[in-house]
Amino acid sequence: MNTLKGKIASIKTNQSLSLVTIQIEELFFNTIVIETPDTATYLKIGEPITILFKETEVIIGKGSEHHISIQNKVMGTIIKIEKGELLCKLIINTKIGKIIAILTLDASNHLQLEVNEKIIVMIKTTEIMLSQ
Amino acid sequence: MIQIALQKKLSAATGEMLLDINMQIEQGKLVTLYGSSGAGKTSILRMIAGLLQADTGTITVHQKTWLNTSTGICLKPQQRKIGFVFQDYALFPNMTVKENLLFALEKNQDKQIVKELIEIIELEDLQNRKPNNLSGGQKQRVALARALVRKPEILMLDEPLSALDKKMRIKLQDYILKVHKKFNITTLLISHDISEVIKMSDTVFMIENGKIIQQGNPIEVFTTKKVSGKFQFTGEVIDIKKEDVIYIVTVLIGTNFVKIIAEENEIQTITIGDPVLVASKAFNPLLQKIN
Amino acid sequence: MIDWQPLLLTFKLALITTCLLLVISIPIAYWLAYTKSKIKPILETLVSMPLVLPPTVLGFYLLIAFSPANTFGNWLDTYMGLRLIFSFEGVLFASILYSLPFMVHPIQAGFSNLNSTIIEASYILGKSKTTTLFKVLLPNIKPSLLTGIVLAFAHTIGEFGVVLMIGGNIPGKTKVASIAIYDEVEALNYTTANWYSIILFVITFSILLLVYLINGGYLKRFWK
Repeated sequence: MNTLKGKIASIKTNQSLSLVTIQIEELFFNTIVIETPDTATYLKIGEPITILFKETEVIIGKGSEHHISIQNKVMGTIIKIEKGELLCKLIINTKIGKIIAILTLDASNHLQLEVNEKIIVMIKTTEIMLSQ
Repeated sequence: MIQIALQKKLSAATGEMLLDINMQIEQGKLVTLYGSSGAGKTSILRMIAGLLQADTGTITVHQKTWLNTSTGICLKPQQRKIGFVFQDYALFPNMTVKENLLFALEKNQDKQIVKELIEIIELEDLQNRKPNNLSGGQKQRVALARALVRKPEILMLDEPLSALDKKMRIKLQDYILKVHKKFNITTLLISHDISEVIKMSDTVFMIENGKIIQQGNPIEVFTTKKVSGKFQFTGEVIDIKKEDVIYIVTVLIGTNFVKIIAEENEIQTITIGDPVLVASKAFNPLLQKIN
Repeated sequence: MIDWQPLLLTFKLALITTCLLLVISIPIAYWLAYTKSKIKPILETLVSMPLVLPPTVLGFYLLIAFSPANTFGNWLDTYMGLRLIFSFEGVLFASILYSLPFMVHPIQAGFSNLNSTIIEASYILGKSKTTTLFKVLLPNIKPSLLTGIVLAFAHTIGEFGVVLMIGGNIPGKTKVASIAIYDEVEALNYTTANWYSIILFVITFSILLLVYLINGGYLKRFWK
């Protein structure tokens, strides 16, 4: 589980769904949750919050421009690669903290990922959980 | 509303302990007392039942005073309308299952309730047997049915399920929930199984050394931080296996086993047998209709 | 031919003693089993005294107490019309005292061995102490009751010293079988003594055997 700490920057609510923007350092992450400020006390602008997401949900991109639907992204450097039989674990240093990504060995080989390489870490809006 | 304030000096294995609790229970709720053994949970139930005298305190049940030590009011157990399921069942060995239930009838009470309870708790096949010929789970069901005959205002269960195996326990939890809903009886349950507390209760009182240290919604009490994931269950870790660069954790949730992928950092704090919260975003699970 | 009167008297005495003892002992045993009173050890000791005291001691004091020459005995005689020495009533009274522990102990043990939560369960179901005693407690200590009844009965049959002290040897009133045996031996009528002895032996043996069979569950198994 990747854990990052930030604070809530904005909340957009429609019926029982809320799109929450969290500021971590100078970066903004979005998540969508089935909660509203009425049902969850922690949904308050300025409130310190922790975002959680699973290592297996992290997407890795190489190069700088990606025309894809993912808004949550951060630049990082691979500091360690641990290869298994089918899977591969990357430890990535970013300016908002260490992030771990687990992807298939094939994908990692295909991207020819190496230690010290600069990459982009991406995570889908629907995969981020909030925790107090 | 049931208001309970009790103080009593208890002599525990570790020396003297002052039990001092203050609880408010809403009518029709299912409430658990959770805590390690020797924390004073059973003493609390026994004092509410009138089987144990409090040093000082008051018990008010729907505006009726059961106990007020300052005015000297103390109703006898017979006068308090309670149902009590003892840890050792306490069935009358000389009576059959049905006779045990019939014995519980009040004067002039309609016998229909006995028939109804035998049906709800599915005791038809057992009704003519003596308690000595029943298994633990069966005895527990009889004890539950017997406790309900009087239509009590409070139903209390003293660790009713601790002696049963997991499968039987789940079945009995369902019976308890069923009668709780059906008769809308305020129910007090002692348990030291977190998943049981979360499954069963509206409110939990966490008790330690005779004091309430925490109370509230079970999920909020047991999970140190609230997680926004809507797909949440509590279970028990059955197995942890390292495979490839990840770990596969098997968790028993109710009677279902689920497998969850975990990372080394998470595994460091978890061992087999630990109660865990399994959470996911509601966006991920698929729904498929079963024909 | 032997005189059946002493035997009949013996069983009459044993039967009445046992019935009265049962009625007296249940409350005593109940109290002893559940009380937290500080005087419990004293009462327990008193109940157990006949076990260790020579019967003659008990008989001697009863004789003195009930003698019309004494205030108490005189009072009984004058106001209650009861003369307890050298009478069947006196022997009965002495028997009850003397067999008390044989009835009280098994019943007390029966109560103590019962799981105390069934009493609490009954109270919580709104049942009074009396209902609980008769509907829950007593039916569950049947073996103890049976043991008490039989021990008290058998013990009364075997009584000698107390009867002799307070009752003497009056045919049809206080001459029970054990005294008749002694009497016949004194008179060198060994055959009659032998008959009395054999009858007592066979009857007490049968009664005790029956109890062990019932309490051991042998009969139930046999009938199945």
